[in-house]
Amino acid sequence: MSGKIIFLLLIAVLLAACSPAGTSTLAVAVTEPSASTSEGATPITLIDDLGRTVVLAVPAQRVVSLAPANTEILFAVGAGAQMVGRDETSDFPAAALALPTIGGYSGFSLESIVALHPDLVLAQGGGFNSPELVASLEELGLTVFSLPNPTTLEGMFNNLETVAALTGHVNDVPTLLASLRARVSAVDEKIMPLSYAPTVYYELDATEPSKPYTAGPGTFVDLLISRAGGVNIGSALEGQWAQISLEQLVVANPAMIILGDAAYGETPEKVSQRPGWGTLTAIQTGQVFPIDDNLVSRPGPRLVDGLEALARLLHPGVFK
Amino acid sequence: MKIRPFLYTLLFLVLVVVLSIAIGSVFIPPADLGRILVGWMKREALSEPLKTFAFILTDIRLPRTVLVLLSGAALGGSGAAYQGLFRNPLADPYLIGVASGAGLGAVLAMSLKWPYSFWGLMAVPAMAFISALLTVFLVYALARVGRTVPTTNLILAGVAFSSFASALTAWMMLHSTGELHRAIAWLIGGASQAGWGPVLTVLPYLALGLGVLVLSGHALNLLQFGDEQAQQMGLPVTRARALILLAASLTTAAAVAFSGIIGFIGLIVPHVMRLWFGADYRRLLPLSIIGGAGALLLADVFARSVMAPQELPVGIVTAIVGAPFFLWVLRRAKNQGYW
Amino acid sequence: MVTDHMLRIEGLSVSYGSRRVLRGVSLEVNSGEVLALIGPNGAGKSTLVRAVSGVIPVEAGCIQFIDPARGSMDLHSLPPMERARTLAVVPQAAVMPPAFSVWETVLLGRTPHLNFLGQVSAKDEDIARLALQKVDALDLSSRRVGDLSGGEQQRVLLARALAQSTPVLLLDEPTSNLDLHYQVSFMETVGTLARSDGLTVLIAVHDLNLAARYASRIALLVAGELKAVGTPCQVLTVELISAAYNLPVQVIQNPFSDTPLVIPGTI
Repeated sequence: MSGKIIFLLLIAVLLAACSPAGTSTLAVAVTEPSASTSEGATPITLIDDLGRTVVLAVPAQRVVSLAPANTEILFAVGAGAQMVGRDETSDFPAAALALPTIGGYSGFSLESIVALHPDLVLAQGGGFNSPELVASLEELGLTVFSLPNPTTLEGMFNNLETVAALTGHVNDVPTLLASLRARVSAVDEKIMPLSYAPTVYYELDATEPSKPYTAGPGTFVDLLISRAGGVNIGSALEGQWAQISLEQLVVANPAMIILGDAAYGETPEKVSQRPGWGTLTAIQTGQVFPIDDNLVSRPGPRLVDGLEALARLLHPGVFK
Repeated sequence: MKIRPFLYTLLFLVLVVVLSIAIGSVFIPPADLGRILVGWMKREALSEPLKTFAFILTDIRLPRTVLVLLSGAALGGSGAAYQGLFRNPLADPYLIGVASGAGLGAVLAMSLKWPYSFWGLMAVPAMAFISALLTVFLVYALARVGRTVPTTNLILAGVAFSSFASALTAWMMLHSTGELHRAIAWLIGGASQAGWGPVLTVLPYLALGLGVLVLSGHALNLLQFGDEQAQQMGLPVTRARALILLAASLTTAAAVAFSGIIGFIGLIVPHVMRLWFGADYRRLLPLSIIGGAGALLLADVFARSVMAPQELPVGIVTAIVGAPFFLWVLRRAKNQGYW
Repeated sequence: MVTDHMLRIEGLSVSYGSRRVLRGVSLEVNSGEVLALIGPNGAGKSTLVRAVSGVIPVEAGCIQFIDPARGSMDLHSLPPMERARTLAVVPQAAVMPPAFSVWETVLLGRTPHLNFLGQVSAKDEDIARLALQKVDALDLSSRRVGDLSGGEQQRVLLARALAQSTPVLLLDEPTSNLDLHYQVSFMETVGTLARSDGLTVLIAVHDLNLAARYASRIALLVAGELKAVGTPCQVLTVELISAAYNLPVQVIQNPFSDTPLVIPGTI
C-alpha cells in the first residue's frame, strides 16, 4: 500500500518538475558577420517541401545541413563558410569534413543542433528527413527549411536557387547554373545523333546475387542513364529500389553492368565469379564498371558529374 | 507490506533520472548544472552558455526523460500484468497483437502521406494507438467461446493476427519506399521528439491504465491458482481478466504510439523484480512499473550517449543489454523456482 | 457452534456439449454432516462438485443453501464473491504457483471477506493462523508451496478453504494423491471439523472404505445418476457396489469401526 503512495508521489514530483521558469525560447545569437553581401531589408520568404512558409529576415549565416546533398548544394552556391554543422554522411567536399556532426541515418541529436545556435536548418524532403524531425526542431524554436526531393535536373537546379536565396548568394548562382546547364547541353548534343543506346544494368545491392536490387523508374539513375544515351533495364520494373531476378537479368542480357555498390566492395572480378552470372554478355566482354553512386543518386550539383561519368562509360568513343 | 524493495527500486530510478538529465550529446559541466539550478531558484535570467544549456535541459532532456519514464513504466507494468494474466513466463505486452497492430496503423498513416499540418503529424501516433486497441478487441472477440475467453485461444488468435498484420505492414513498407526509413525508425523504437506534447497526450491513458493495474495485484494473485480456484475464492474471473487485459493493452498502446515498439522491457523487468522481490502481484506490479521506467531510461541514456551525436535505436539497446543481464540475474538467483 | 444449515441440490443436470454428464441429481446435506460422494470413474463426481461451486454451467436444476436466519439462497445466481462466502472448495490436484508461500496461499482464502484491494486485517490473519492450526500445518507457514509434498499441499488447500469461513465445504477427491497415513489424518480432520464447527460437507471420494469410515452418509453416483443415498451400511451393499463397479465384492465389518469394509474380488 505504501509502495503505491510513493509511486504516486513520484509521479507528482515529476510533473511538478515539468514547470521550469516559464517557457524559454532560444535566442538566436548571430555573432559572426556575413561574408557575402546581404540582400537589403526585404525578408526572404519561401515555401518548403512540407508546405510551410519560411521567413528569414536576413540571409542565413549559421546553417546546419541534415543531408549530404544539402551540404554539397550549400558549398556549391558558395555558402560553405556559413555552415556550422553537418550530418554524418556529408562527405563532400573535403572542407565539409571539418564541420561538427549532429547525427545521421540512425537519428539526429536535437541537443547538438540546438547548441550550434543555427539560424537555418536545411532538411531534405521526400522521406529523407522525417516530418517529425522538422516538427521537433520547429518546436525548439529553430527555423527549418525542407528542400523538395527533385525528380529532374531542373528540379535540382531550382534547389540551387532556393538555397542561394536562403543564404544570400543569389548573385553568385546564375554563373553556377549557366556552367552546369552548359555541361548538360554538351552531353545532350553529343548523344542526339547517336543511334546506338546500350542496355545497362545498374546495381544497387547484390547481397543476394540471385535477386539483386537495381534502380527502377523515377530515380535519378534511371533519368541520367537515359540522358547519357543508354537504356536502363530497371525502368521496366516497379519501385525505386527494384528487385530483379537473375533469370530476368539473363533474359535482358544488358550490354553493360555498372556497379553502384562499388563502395561496398563489389568489383568486376567478384561479379564475374557469381554463380550463373558468367553467361551475361557484359561479363564476357568485360563491360563491368564501378562508379561512385553518390554522383548519380545524391540530388545535388554533382549529378552533372554523374551524367558525364555515365556518358563516358556508355559512349567512350564520343566522350573522352 | 515490505518497504525495502520500493526503496531500492526508487533509489535506482532517481539515480537514472539524474544520469538522464546530466548526460546527452552536449556536455554540460556539473558546475554549470549547479549554476542553472541556482539561477532558477533565484528566478534570475541566465546568460550564455548557461541559457542554452538550460534550454536544452527544459525543452529537450527533461521532456524526453519523462516520456521515456512513462513508456518504460507502461511496458513494465503491463508486462507484469500479462505474465500474471496468462500465467506464462514468456508473456510480454505484445502477446496479443498490440505491437503489430500499432505498427500497421503507424505505417498506414505514413503511407497515406497526410499533409504536414497538426493532424498530419499526430496521425501516426493516433493511428498507432487506435489500431493497437482495435487489434486487441478483435483478437479478444475471435478468441471468445461462449461466455469465456480461454487463454490458449487468446494467444493463438494474437499470434495469428500478429503475423497477418506484420505481413501487411511489410508489404506497405515495400511499396512506399519514400517512407521506408521513417517507418523503420518508428518501428524500431525511440523517443526523439522534442517538447511536452507527447507527454501530455499520453499521460491520461497511462495514469488510468497504470492506476487500474496497480490495484489489480490481489486479483492477479488469485488468478495464479487458475481460473477455477480464483472463481471459487470469489473473483469474478471473466470480468476481472477483461478489465486487466484492457488496462494493460491501453497502457501499452499509449506507450507504443509515441515510442515505437521497444522490446524486452515488458518481458524482463517483471522477471527480475520477481526474482529479487517475490511473486506477490500486489508488490510486483508497482515494482515493475518503477523498474520498467528506470530500466528503459537507462537504456535510453546509453542509446544517446554511446555513439553521440548519433543515436542508437533504444529497442536495439534493450535487446543487446537486456538479454545478457537477465541471464546473469537468472544464474545468480538462489531459488530456482521463483515463478 | 451448530446451526441448521442445509445444502439442497435438486434435479441437477449438467452437459458437456451434447454429452449429458449429470442427470437430475437431487441431494441434501445438513450441517455437521459429511456426505461422501462415491462412484466409478466418469460417474460425474467431480462434475457435481464443480457445478455446485459454480465454475461450470448448469443445464437444469437448482442449488440452494438454506439458512434458518436468512431463508433459502439460490447459489447459482449469486455473484462469485457472495457465493464464495457461502461455500469453499478444496480442489483435486490443484494448480499452485510454486513461489507462493503457504501463508500467502492460505490468506488468499480470506478474499471474500476483504475489500477489493486485498487488504488483510489482524482478524484475517488470526483466522488464517487458526485454519493452519486445525490442519496441523502451522509450521509450514513460511515454506514455499512448490517445495511441499502432495500431502502437505492438500492440507494447505484445506486450510485455505477453512480460512474462507464458509458454512459449506466442498472437497473434490482430496485424498487421491495421499499416502495411507495422510488419507486417514485428512479424513479425520474433516470429520472432526464438520462436527465441531457445524460445517456442511460434501466430499467426492475414491476410496469406498474411507467414505464408509468417515462419512455420516454416502451417495452413490453411476453414469451421472444417483443410484442410492443413505448410511454407509445402506449404500455399501454387495448388490449396489458390484453393480456399480462391475466387479464382484464382499462386504464385511471394519474391525476398527462399526462401518462396512468393501473387499474387491477378481474379474
